[in-house]
Amino acid sequence: MISRVATRRRTDCGGVSSLYVPTVEWHEAESLSAATELMHRFGASARFLAGGTDVLVDLKSGRNAALHLISLNRIPHLRGISSDAAGMRIGALTTPNELLDSELVRKDFSPLLDAVSEMAAPQVRNMATVGGNIASAIPSADLPPILTVMNAQVVLWSPRGERVISLEEFFVGPRRSLKAADEILTYVLVPNMRKNFGAAYARFALRSANACAVAGVAAGLRLSPAGLVEDVKLTLCAVAPTPKPVPAVGEVLSGRRPDDATLQQAATAAMQASEPISDIRGSAEFRREIVAVLARRALDQAIVRAKGNAA
Amino acid sequence: MSRALSLRINGNTYHAAAQPGDTLLDVLREKLRLTGTKKGCNVGDCGACTVLVDGTPMNACLLLAAELRDRHVTTIEGIARNGQLTPVQRAFMEEGAIQCGYCTPGMVLSATALLAQNPTPTSEQIKNALAGNLCRCTGYTGIMRAMERCANRRSDGTCAKKCSDDHASRWTPQVQKDDGASGRSDYRPGDGGFASVGVSIQRVDSGDKVTGRAVYTDDIQLPNMVHGKILGSPIAHGRIRRIDISKAAALDGVLAILTGADVPDTMYGVSPARYDEHVLAKDKVRHVGDEVAAVAAIDERTAEAALKLIDVEYEEFPPVLDALEAVKPGAPLVHERYERNINTHVDHSFGDVDKGFAESHHVREETFTGNFIYQCPLEPHAAIATWDHDGTLVLYTSTQVPHYVQYMMAHVLHLPLGKIRVIRPVVGGGFGGKAETTPLDLCAALLSRKLDRPVKMTYSREEMFHHGRGRHKQHMCFKLGVDHHGRIKAFKSEIHLDGGAYSSFGVATAYYAGSVVPTLYHIPSYKYDGYRVMTNKPACGAMRGHGVPQPRFAFECLLSMIADDMGIDPVEIRRRNAMTPNTKTVNEMDVGSCEFLATLKAAAEKSAWDTKYGQLPKGKGIGIGCGGFVSGAGYCIYRGQVQLSHEKGRESFQKRSIFPHANAVVKISEDGMAAVLMIGAAEIGQGSDTVLTQMCAEALGIPVSRMRIRSEDSDISPLDLGAYSSRVTLMAGHAVSRAAAAVIEKMRPYAASLLGCAPSCVEARDAGWFVVGGKGNAGDGNGRPAACASDSAGVPWEEVARKYFNDNGPLVGTGAYKPPEGLGGDYKGSTVGTSPAYSFGTAICEATVDLETGKVKIDRFTDYHDCGTPINPMAVHGQVEGAVVMGASETILEDVQFDEKGRILNPNLHGYLIMSIKDAPEIFSGLVDSYEPRGPFGAKEIGEGSTLPVLGAVAHAIANATGVWIKDLPITPEKILWALRNCRAGAAVTTTPSTISV
Repeated sequence: MISRVATRRRTDCGGVSSLYVPTVEWHEAESLSAATELMHRFGASARFLAGGTDVLVDLKSGRNAALHLISLNRIPHLRGISSDAAGMRIGALTTPNELLDSELVRKDFSPLLDAVSEMAAPQVRNMATVGGNIASAIPSADLPPILTVMNAQVVLWSPRGERVISLEEFFVGPRRSLKAADEILTYVLVPNMRKNFGAAYARFALRSANACAVAGVAAGLRLSPAGLVEDVKLTLCAVAPTPKPVPAVGEVLSGRRPDDATLQQAATAAMQASEPISDIRGSAEFRREIVAVLARRALDQAIVRAKGNAA
Repeated sequence: MSRALSLRINGNTYHAAAQPGDTLLDVLREKLRLTGTKKGCNVGDCGACTVLVDGTPMNACLLLAAELRDRHVTTIEGIARNGQLTPVQRAFMEEGAIQCGYCTPGMVLSATALLAQNPTPTSEQIKNALAGNLCRCTGYTGIMRAMERCANRRSDGTCAKKCSDDHASRWTPQVQKDDGASGRSDYRPGDGGFASVGVSIQRVDSGDKVTGRAVYTDDIQLPNMVHGKILGSPIAHGRIRRIDISKAAALDGVLAILTGADVPDTMYGVSPARYDEHVLAKDKVRHVGDEVAAVAAIDERTAEAALKLIDVEYEEFPPVLDALEAVKPGAPLVHERYERNINTHVDHSFGDVDKGFAESHHVREETFTGNFIYQCPLEPHAAIATWDHDGTLVLYTSTQVPHYVQYMMAHVLHLPLGKIRVIRPVVGGGFGGKAETTPLDLCAALLSRKLDRPVKMTYSREEMFHHGRGRHKQHMCFKLGVDHHGRIKAFKSEIHLDGGAYSSFGVATAYYAGSVVPTLYHIPSYKYDGYRVMTNKPACGAMRGHGVPQPRFAFECLLSMIADDMGIDPVEIRRRNAMTPNTKTVNEMDVGSCEFLATLKAAAEKSAWDTKYGQLPKGKGIGIGCGGFVSGAGYCIYRGQVQLSHEKGRESFQKRSIFPHANAVVKISEDGMAAVLMIGAAEIGQGSDTVLTQMCAEALGIPVSRMRIRSEDSDISPLDLGAYSSRVTLMAGHAVSRAAAAVIEKMRPYAASLLGCAPSCVEARDAGWFVVGGKGNAGDGNGRPAACASDSAGVPWEEVARKYFNDNGPLVGTGAYKPPEGLGGDYKGSTVGTSPAYSFGTAICEATVDLETGKVKIDRFTDYHDCGTPINPMAVHGQVEGAVVMGASETILEDVQFDEKGRILNPNLHGYLIMSIKDAPEIFSGLVDSYEPRGPFGAKEIGEGSTLPVLGAVAHAIANATGVWIKDLPITPEKILWALRNCRAGAAVTTTPSTISV
C-alpha cells in the first residue's frame, strides 16, 4: 500500500538550473558616479558586475534574478596594487592571481598568498576580483579571514562620500555586509605588517585544488621582545554565517608565552566559537574538529613568521 | 534585445549579434561556430571552456561576451599557425595526454599560457596551472608527461630530461608462447615481431582533438535545426494528476510539446525481461528528474523558458531511498510489479559452502558499504534527430553503443532497424554512462518527426546526474574462510544493490557482482545472494567494472584483514590463492591465459613492498588490491536475431551467439594507396579507433599511415555491439583482422603472379608483397614457412591492389566475430561474466594520511597488468592511469548525495568532486608478458579490469597508515577521523588496532 500525501505543487523544473544567463540588460559604467546612478535607477533589480564568477553562476542557477547588470570593469583606477608608507592599497578589480604575481605582495604581504594560492581554480582566479570576494560576503570566501587578521579595511564609495570600514566589522550575515546597495567597494587597504608580526591562513578542503573550503582559520599576532603574544587576531572561514573573528583567542593568548598547552587552549577557543552547519562537505561536528586543528596550524605558522619578521 | 558585437578572436575580428546575457562560450559555440571550446559544466567547475583572454586562461562560460570589447581572445582554433602544431600540441599527441579529447582544448590552452609565462615550470607549477582543468580519462599522467617534456625541451625539440619511464621500454614485442592452445589464434607475429601491433603510436584522432577540430554531437548544427529540452519531475515519487502545457505552448518560439500521452506505450530499457521505462512518464514519476514532458523551440534558451511554464500537478507519495529499507514489508513500492522492491534476486551456490566453512581454520565476516558513483564523462550526453524523406531516422548521438541505440529506437518507434541510421560523432567519455538509449535520443526522434525538422537535445551537467546510470551502491555482507595456510576454503556473499528507479542494466549488474569474484582466486565453494532493489533515485547502470568494483573492494579488504589476522603477508596470501591459467572456475568461467602471479610478483618488487609493509611510520601506508575483468561479454544483451523486436516474442536462450557480435569491412582505395576500415566499434576516448587501425594495418601488411577508419556511421559500418564489457579489442579486433585477412587472400594470387611464385609463398608486409618460401621448404617451427632466398625483392602493395581492381572491381574484405559456442555454465545467470578471456592485475597504493584532519594524499601507484598482448602499450598505460585516478577518486572523494526527499544535493562538479591534477598520484604502469590464444594477436582487455584493483588498494593503504579499516565508501576525512577517535577510545581495551573496523 502506498500511503498518500496529497500535495499540489507547481513544477520547479526538478531543480534543473539554467544553461543560460536569463534575459538581462547590461550597462557599462564609465565612472563610480555613473554606476551608482544606474543602481539608483534600477534599484533591487540591478546588480553590480565585476569578475562575474559569482554573479553569473547565481544568475544561471536562479539564485539571483537580476534584470540589470551594471559592469564596473571600465571604471578607471580600480584595478591594480599600490603602496605608500602606511601600507598597500588593492583596487577592488584586482584579481587574486594579480595578488599572487605581485612582487609587493610576495615581499611584504606574503600571508595573503596562503589564501590566494589555494582558492578556486586558476581560471577563476584570473577573472574573480578581490572586491567581489569580499563584497559578496560569502561565508566560505578565502580572502576575508586573512585580510581581517592583517587589519585590512575596505573603502566604500557612494555619492554621499567615501567611508572606510574595518573588515572585522564589515560582514553582518551570509551574503550581507555593511555595504549599502548603492555603495561600491573600491579599495582594500592593508596596513604594513609591523615588526614581529606574523599571520597565516590554514584551510581544509576535500580536494587539493578548485574546491570550496570546508573550514579555514586565519591568525595574526605579534611577539614581544620577551616572546609573549600580543595583538592576536583569529578569524574563522566557512564555519559561521560570516567570516567570524574570535576575540576569545586573544583572551587566551595575549601576554602569554605560546607554549603547546596555551596554543591548544587557543585552538579550543576557536573551535568553541565556530558555528558550523552540516552539509555535503562535512558534518558540523567534523568542522568543529577541523577548526581546532586549523587554528593550531595557523597560530603555529603565524608564530614562525613573527619570529622571522624580527629583523 | 540583441546587439551587435565585435570580438577579436585568434587575430581576426568577428561580428555577431548577441544578447546581453550571452557568455563568450555561447557566442563562440552558437554564433561563431568555433566549437573547439567545449561546454562541460557551464559554471566554471571543469575548465573545458578555457580560453585565453589577452593571454590569460579564463572560463568562457563565466565571461559576458559584451565585456570583451578591446580584449584579445585565443581559442584552441588559434593555437596552431599555418597548420604547424605547437610543441605543446605535439607533446600532448605523442605522450598519450589525450583520450576522449573533451578536456584537451582547455587543457592545451592552460598549458600554453603557463609555458608562455614560464618556459621551464616545475612539476608543482604545472599542477597549479592545470588545477582548473578536469580530466576524467587520462589520470593526468600523460598530461604531466607531455608538460614535463615541454618544460625540459631543448631548442632542437628533444627532451633534456630523460623522461621517467619510456613507454616502449616497458613492453617488448615477444613471439607468442607455444602453449598448445595457440592454434586457436588467427595471427602470429613474424620473426621480426609485429610492425604495427605492440607499438605505442599516437592516437589516430589526436590531431583533431588537439586542434579543436574533433566534432562532438553538441558541436553539430544542421540547417533548420531546433532545440529540445526535457522537463524532469521535482519530486521523487508520485503520480501525475494533470499537466497543463497551454502557457508553455503560447510562448513565442515554442514549436512542439510532448507529454506522456504523446509517446508510445511501448516500454524500453536494457534487459529485455525488464523493460520498465516510458519515454515520458505516463502515470507515476519515480525519481527527481524523471522525464515528464519535452519541448522543442527555436533555440535552447526558449525551450528552457518553456519548461518553466508547464504546470504539473502531482500527487506525492513517500519516497523510498535506501535499499535496505526498500525490501522491508510495507515499504512504498517504486513499481507495483517488483514485490518488496526486489528487481532481481540472484541465488547462486557452487560447491559445498557449509563444509568449506566447517573445514576452515579462520573465518571472518564483515559488512561493507559502497557509494553511489556517477561516471562524470566530461562531455554531456547529446542527441540530434532528423528524418529523411524516405522515412529513415537519422540519429546523431553521444553513445558507447550505437547498435543497441538503433535496436531500442526500432523497438520503441516500431521501425525496422534498417530504417534507422545511427551516427556516433566523437564521444567525450562514457565509462558506462552512455551505454544505453537516453530520453534525449527518443524525445529528439519524436519531436523531430512531429516537426519535420532536425531537433538537438543536450543534457546540462545537472541533468546528467538526474539521468543517472552510475555505479550501484552495494551493501555487502561477506564471509570468507581459509585454511591454516590462508588458502580459501569457502566464500559467501550477500549483496543488496541500490538500483534506483528503473532496471537499466541492473539485472546484469546483480549477476556481475557475484560472477567475476571467483575468476581471480581459486575459490572451491561459493554462495552468492544478490538483491537488486528499486529506490526512488535515478536508475543505476553499468559503470566501469560493471557491478564488480565494490564487491572486489570488499573482498580485497577482507583478504588483507585475514592476512593480518593470521600473520601472513598480504601479497603472500594472494600468491597462495591466485588463479592459474587454463582453469574452469567454481562457477564455470573458462579462464585461459592468466599471468596473475606475474603481476603480483612484479608489483611487489617494483614497489619494494617487502621493505615497506608494516615498516612505514604512522600516517604513511601501503596497500594492495587485485582484480581483473571480462574481455567482452560472451552473450548479447538481447536474444535471437537482429530484427524488429517489439512484436517479437521472447526467445529462449541458446548457448551460442545467434549473430556475430563484431563485424568489419576493409575497403582498399582504387589506387591501392589507402585502406579504409569500416567498423561500428564505438570510439569513446578509450582508443579503439587507434588499436583497431593498428590491428588492421598489421594484418594487411601496410603502415598505419595508409589506414583510415570509419566507425561513426551505421550506414557505412556493419553492426558492432559497442564499447561495453571491455569487448572491443578482443572482439572487434578479431573482426578487423579477419576482414584484412580476406583482403590479403584476394590479393594473394595477384601478388604471386607478379612475383612469379606460388600463392602460398607470398606474404604482405612493410607495404609490399614478398616471396617468403620456396617449394619444399620446411617450416621454421614458428608456424610459417622458412624465408626463401629472394626475401628482399618484392612488389609494391598498391601495385597488387591495382591489379586486383583492374580485373575485379572493388577490393573489399569482410570479417566477423562470434564468441566461442558453449561458453559458461548451464545455470540461470551463467551468461553474465562468461567471456572468451579474462584480464588480471595487481595494484599497490602508497598513501599519506593527515592523522589530525583525516585528509588522504594518494602518493603513488604501482600497477602491473596482464592484458595479453598490448596492441598499443601507450594506450594500455593510458587506460590504467585513468582507471587508477578514477578508482582512487571514487574511493576517497565521490558520492552522489541525496536529501530526505530524494533530491540530489551535489548534481554538479563543485559538489561532486572528482580528482584534479593536484590529487592524482604518481603512477607506474607495467605489463607482464602474456598471450591470450583467444584474442587477436594475443590481446585481451584493459579498460575495466584496471579499475578493479584500485579501490581495495587505496582502502588497504589507508588502513595501513592509520591502523583502522574504513569499510564504508567513500573513505572521507571525516570517517577516518571518527575511526581514529574510536580507536583511541578503544585502545585501552584492545591491543590490535589494525583490526578495528567501523
